[in-house]
Amino acid sequence: MKRMSRRAMLLLPLLAVILLGMTIFLIRYAVSADEWVVFPGSPHVYSGGNMSTGVITDRHGEVPLDATSGRAYTADPELRRATMHILGDRYGYISAPVLSAYTDEMIGFSKLTGLHRVLDVPKQARLTISAKAQKVAQAALLGRRGTIGVYNYETGEILCAVTAPTYDPDDMPDVQSDSTGAYEGVFVNRFFQTTYVPGSIFKIVTTAAALEELPDAMTRNFYCEGSCQIGADTIKCNGTHYTQTLQQALANSCNVAFAQLSVELGKDVMARYAKKLGITDSLRFDGIVTPAGHFDLTSAADSELAWSGIGQYTDMVNPCQFLSVMGAIAGGGEGAEPYLMKSVTGTYQAKTKSRSVGLSEETCRILTEYMRNNVVTMYGQWQFPDLYVCAKSGTAEVGPDETPHATFSGFIRDANYPLAFIVIVENGGSGSATCAPIAGQVLRACCEAMDAERS
Amino acid sequence: MENFFAAFAQLDFIDLINAAMRYIFPVLAILIVGRCAISLLTYEKEPEIWAWIVAPDGTRHPVNHWETLIGRSRSCDVTVNYPTISRTHAVLTRYDDGSWSISDVGSKGGITLNGAPTSMEVVAAGDKIGLGGVDLTFEPITRREEVLQASSRTKAGLGMHLGVTLFWLTVFQVMAAFMLSLESGAEQIFPAFFILIVLQWALFVFNKLLRRSGFEIEIIVLFLTTLGLCVIASDTPEELRKQLICLAAGIFVFFVVCWALRDLERAKKLRYVAAFGSLALLAFNLVFGVEQYGAKNWIFIGGVSFQPSELVKLCFLFVGASTLQRVMTKRNMFLFIAYSAAICGCLVLMNDFGTALIFFAAFLVIAFMRSGNFATIALIVAATAMGGVMAVRFVPHILDRFSAWGNVWENALTTGYQQTRAMMCIASGGAFGLGAGRGWLKYVGASDTDLIFAFVAEEWGLIMAVIMVLAVVLLAVFVLRSADLGRSSFYSIGAVAAVVILLLQMTLNVFGTVDLLPLTGVTFPFVSNGGSSMIAYWGLMAFIKAADTRQNASFAVKLPSGRALREEDPE
Repeated sequence: MKRMSRRAMLLLPLLAVILLGMTIFLIRYAVSADEWVVFPGSPHVYSGGNMSTGVITDRHGEVPLDATSGRAYTADPELRRATMHILGDRYGYISAPVLSAYTDEMIGFSKLTGLHRVLDVPKQARLTISAKAQKVAQAALLGRRGTIGVYNYETGEILCAVTAPTYDPDDMPDVQSDSTGAYEGVFVNRFFQTTYVPGSIFKIVTTAAALEELPDAMTRNFYCEGSCQIGADTIKCNGTHYTQTLQQALANSCNVAFAQLSVELGKDVMARYAKKLGITDSLRFDGIVTPAGHFDLTSAADSELAWSGIGQYTDMVNPCQFLSVMGAIAGGGEGAEPYLMKSVTGTYQAKTKSRSVGLSEETCRILTEYMRNNVVTMYGQWQFPDLYVCAKSGTAEVGPDETPHATFSGFIRDANYPLAFIVIVENGGSGSATCAPIAGQVLRACCEAMDAERS
Repeated sequence: MENFFAAFAQLDFIDLINAAMRYIFPVLAILIVGRCAISLLTYEKEPEIWAWIVAPDGTRHPVNHWETLIGRSRSCDVTVNYPTISRTHAVLTRYDDGSWSISDVGSKGGITLNGAPTSMEVVAAGDKIGLGGVDLTFEPITRREEVLQASSRTKAGLGMHLGVTLFWLTVFQVMAAFMLSLESGAEQIFPAFFILIVLQWALFVFNKLLRRSGFEIEIIVLFLTTLGLCVIASDTPEELRKQLICLAAGIFVFFVVCWALRDLERAKKLRYVAAFGSLALLAFNLVFGVEQYGAKNWIFIGGVSFQPSELVKLCFLFVGASTLQRVMTKRNMFLFIAYSAAICGCLVLMNDFGTALIFFAAFLVIAFMRSGNFATIALIVAATAMGGVMAVRFVPHILDRFSAWGNVWENALTTGYQQTRAMMCIASGGAFGLGAGRGWLKYVGASDTDLIFAFVAEEWGLIMAVIMVLAVVLLAVFVLRSADLGRSSFYSIGAVAAVVILLLQMTLNVFGTVDLLPLTGVTFPFVSNGGSSMIAYWGLMAFIKAADTRQNASFAVKLPSGRALREEDPE
């Protein structure tokens, strides 16, 4: 019988396998239960193909989407068009990463208590955007392709993030068979998901590098006679600026001055500053991952190095990322990271995360002064009544036969309205002429939204 | 805020109770299974002593079993270290009527009884058993001492007040019936749970009347059965009646098998009945069986359907179990191998992959218990041949299942349909479940059998589902722990094979549901909805009870007879 009891030990490996299997399963549960629970087709979470999560509001409680059961968009068609790229469409052409990222919080899932709820109160997710600013921005684009973003560089809240073209999710056009080009790239959120040739707004980066790396940058003079020869290439300027300081060169957006600066600073320094400011990094927040920008001089000739400092060559920036760079400059070298989700009732509350770009406070102060000078001397303060706007415009060449993209970016230096902005109008031509009025309207709408909160 | 109050105004009374109950049920389950675990795993081992073997030097060796291997080897039950004694020399066997025999198990020196050479002979008190020329004196205990021994050993289960444990199970059942009725309103639920409660208390009282106090194994099984009824009440209340009838039949079969095992001679004779009966059942199944879900393992007679292969499990144990004397002498197992091959062959023809796998594993376990090593060529040949036949036969089947295995999320609409829904529902339930009757998995096919783990997890919580697994593991640990106290190897082999079947069924079922193994469609013991399997599992429990030699633990183990004592010693 001793032998029998010894042979019975063969139960041990079997029991070990069972305990091991259960452990593996429980670990998998702990790791992935939140993915299992939102599995498409779960009647607990979905209704009619759309996730039933709760009510989505803007920063003031206006409801662009009620997803308590299926998807009910706002009755306001303008708002539907202006927010679709953030909230997603009905058919999954346009995803809503910000909603997916907070699905667990919105459906009230926890690995401990599952989906069980005693009170079936629909959860409310409050976004940072202002419905009004969204509509104003969408309208200001006048149907042109492009994107506009505004965020509070002290808190990180994105007040406005629109992209065009768009459409009404309750009245979807036949995008596939459209031949007019009106819906070109309509499924893409240009603010979060694309990169653009920056054009002259990139000169802010070159200026920052010059201020920190060249001791006499502020005192030296640049001479522009309309063009200059670098290597085999001729850099053409937008005018003939003759003798100018760095501040004047930035205001003039003088290609000659910046081409010479770039070559003088060299590949390494330029690449270092592009990296330091985060141009070539992705931003990650609220389920959104922005594409990294591009700044690569490894095989660049001198003339190409020159073009890169002017925001051409192979330079690419993501609008949202560039916006956060503006925020950091406005904040004296440190700005808040942008975010889109303010809160989910009872389960989530956004926190401000700050991000440093490694520029000295002095550099940022001078850049602010220069960008303020741009507005006062070039773009016109009348565009922004009562707002202390600092900005830089750009006209980004995108192809030999195409009208350049108009770009415009900057910030308001005002403790009451700590807002940074970026406006890009595709094939919009001259940056300041096209974009400054748009920026003016959108910033005004955002400031009004902030005023409304204070009163 | 107004949203909150609006919802509060609509708040259902039932929702509030449910919210509280989902925390109470796991506590009760832990209490019930935990009390049984303490009782089964911490009892003090008190070996029985049935006789003494006195060596020439005066050393007294206790004989603790009804089957005792004597020899020079340390792995013998009684080690007598003389050079002329073989490593394994003889088996001393006690019979149900109190008589003893000694038999040679292939020794070199042979055995003598009171000087006369023999290979097998009845021995009585005071007889000299000669092993290789060494005379050992045999001194069995008297009937009176047997009674004394029985009365001095600790009675099974008395320490934990099993009546109290059963009371907590009853509380669980009453509350479960209440919640399930509130949720679904099905009128069958209360009567069904009432009958369950009556049945279990009747079983408890009957057990007491039989002077048996061990009831932990029954409570664990009743707990699992309760979870099974909860699932059926939520899924298909109209099947509660059928399941209860099968539960009653299962308890009846349990007693019949216990009775059969009480007397080892009777049990040994039943082997042939079991062998022919099971082959006949499967043959009948092959001819008249009906195919369901790809396997032709159902028989319909007069509106009643059942799965013969479930009952064959029971027969298989009868055929496979063997006494020590037999294990030590008849080392070849050709008959058993042939029998196993025939059974597996039938299942292969029936396309019942899961059950064939269970039988194959049970065969390996029994073969190992009997031979002690896998090296036996015959065994390996048999194993490979059977495995090979199965693999070839099931190739399309296997490939189909393996294609989804591990990739269920990529095949969520086809081969991974059941598993993905199961895991989604497990997650939805969280640790405490959505509440009795509030799951969704019931709308997925076979969720009350194949996906039972997920079903329980969704409605009753992951904690409950894990307790359900641990309850079966507990039975196995108990068998392992008490393996050295078994009276006969017949019982030890039977009990180990029974828990192996339980463990394998559970493993294939649970790990198939959560995509750790391919989904094979076998049942979870006692919980899965199924009449034939309910009956078969209760029958298997008798084998575990028969190996439980704690005093007064089970009906399957006889108590010393008072009448025999009076006849022997009329005082």
